[in-house]
Amino acid sequence: MPSEIEDLDIKATKVDAAFTPVQDQDLDQYGEALAQYTIVDTDVHVDDTLMRMVDYMEGHYQKRLQAALQADFRGEPGNSLRNMIAHVNWLGSSYDKPPRAKLATKTELMERMQLGIINYSILFPSELLPIAYLPDPKWAAALATAYNAFMVDEYGNLPGVKIALVVSPNLPDHAVEQIAKYGNHKDVVAVCVPDVGVNPPIGDRKYWPIFEAADHYNLPIALHGIEALVHDNYPLRVSHFPTLMQVHSMGFPFTGMLQVMSVVCEGVPVRFPKLKFCVLEAGLTWIPFIMYRLDTAYRQYRTELPALEQKPSDYIREWYWGTHELEALPKRGDLRKLIELYQGEDTTMWASDWPHLERDLIAGFMRYDLSETQRRKILGENAVRFFNLGDRP
Amino acid sequence: MTTPAAQPPAPAEAEGRRIPVAAVADFPPDTRMEVKVGNALIAVFNIAGTYRAIYGRCPHQFALLSRGRLQGTVICNAQTNWETEWAHEGEVLVCPGHAMEYLVKTGQAIGYNLKLRTYPVYEEDGVVILVV
Repeated sequence: MPSEIEDLDIKATKVDAAFTPVQDQDLDQYGEALAQYTIVDTDVHVDDTLMRMVDYMEGHYQKRLQAALQADFRGEPGNSLRNMIAHVNWLGSSYDKPPRAKLATKTELMERMQLGIINYSILFPSELLPIAYLPDPKWAAALATAYNAFMVDEYGNLPGVKIALVVSPNLPDHAVEQIAKYGNHKDVVAVCVPDVGVNPPIGDRKYWPIFEAADHYNLPIALHGIEALVHDNYPLRVSHFPTLMQVHSMGFPFTGMLQVMSVVCEGVPVRFPKLKFCVLEAGLTWIPFIMYRLDTAYRQYRTELPALEQKPSDYIREWYWGTHELEALPKRGDLRKLIELYQGEDTTMWASDWPHLERDLIAGFMRYDLSETQRRKILGENAVRFFNLGDRP
Repeated sequence: MTTPAAQPPAPAEAEGRRIPVAAVADFPPDTRMEVKVGNALIAVFNIAGTYRAIYGRCPHQFALLSRGRLQGTVICNAQTNWETEWAHEGEVLVCPGHAMEYLVKTGQAIGYNLKLRTYPVYEEDGVVILVV
């Protein structure tokens, strides 16, 4: 209306180009709407590059990592050709466009928390996510040891900051030791099992000691994917993908489907009925597919899975899911329809993947039409229940 | 001062509300301004003396386009004989959220059937004027 146009508030501000991805500047437009919610960011990443791990490595692994860092990277992973070979096919697509992904420092994490919008950040490994496909599981275990010690030391006892332990699935005994060491720490809220490249898949009995230990300490299991840059043990071999876009698009959900199927079909939910599982960074659209695809096959092949007491989707419905990376659903009502399809109103958890390049800005979630109840659950309540945040001060 | 030849066709006759953005001296080449008009944001650039104005939020997740870098990009089409070439140097606005690319002159999103609104900008009496 003309009178309103005349009253428009006009302000011109000089600004600079951002050389790192914009992060939470968008929060202002939802500030009041968000204030009513408890918000848990289910998937947050801080700097866990190898340089950070050195001081926390044990025994000869510390000396060897020191030597490796001096020989190769000089502290800059981007300077290492060997490191970059993993990306080399995809160098153009991954690195030519700003803003590049970055890892957050503790200061940046706390500045974000001090905006007062996000109540809890759950920290997951970033650089250490590929440990499951290191050829030598002892190296993976050494890095997991360092990571857990580093995280508890650096990020324990910070307001609203909670930590997921990382374990090397290929050395289950070591994983059990780590869970026992930190299982009662008030800020440790989950066990992250990096699941890409894991062979056999994660439901195999080989890994059951990990589940038993997590169950004992009432810690949920979080499966977190990664682009499988170098490994053949993948739902699809990496050689199928000429571009990083394709690795990224197929890798996370295919890994998720493989591991969900494995855990359920091996009877893990029957053996550990209280143990909670979630899948992070794999999006949501594939969840109904795997639930109902398995149900269809179960009718024919049930005798292969004699341990199951219910159809597969009845178990999968109990899993939790991080929203990241929100698929580009075309209509505002589509997210609600999708969640109805996999019956996930009580199991879907908002996750940003901050500060990675592909992180979801909270505005991207808020644009979808959801009921107030659904928003409240997905932004925080479901994660509070999954990570037992109410029980841990 | 910029030369008249570097200016786009003077849009002084364009219809719309005239919004003074800044004095010309305060808006030199290779700087940018974010202009808030009511609830709307508009990103205004001085690119080597040529002013460009484009809708200020990326429709993907609403990141601020005024913070985007200007660079070139790769193209591959019949004109390039289906070879990949670097093009549009300095004219591609890259969203600082998730790197969607827009031609800053037209608002066209590269690789999408999507065009952001652009706005006339001109100089008058030492002031940069945005028309919305």
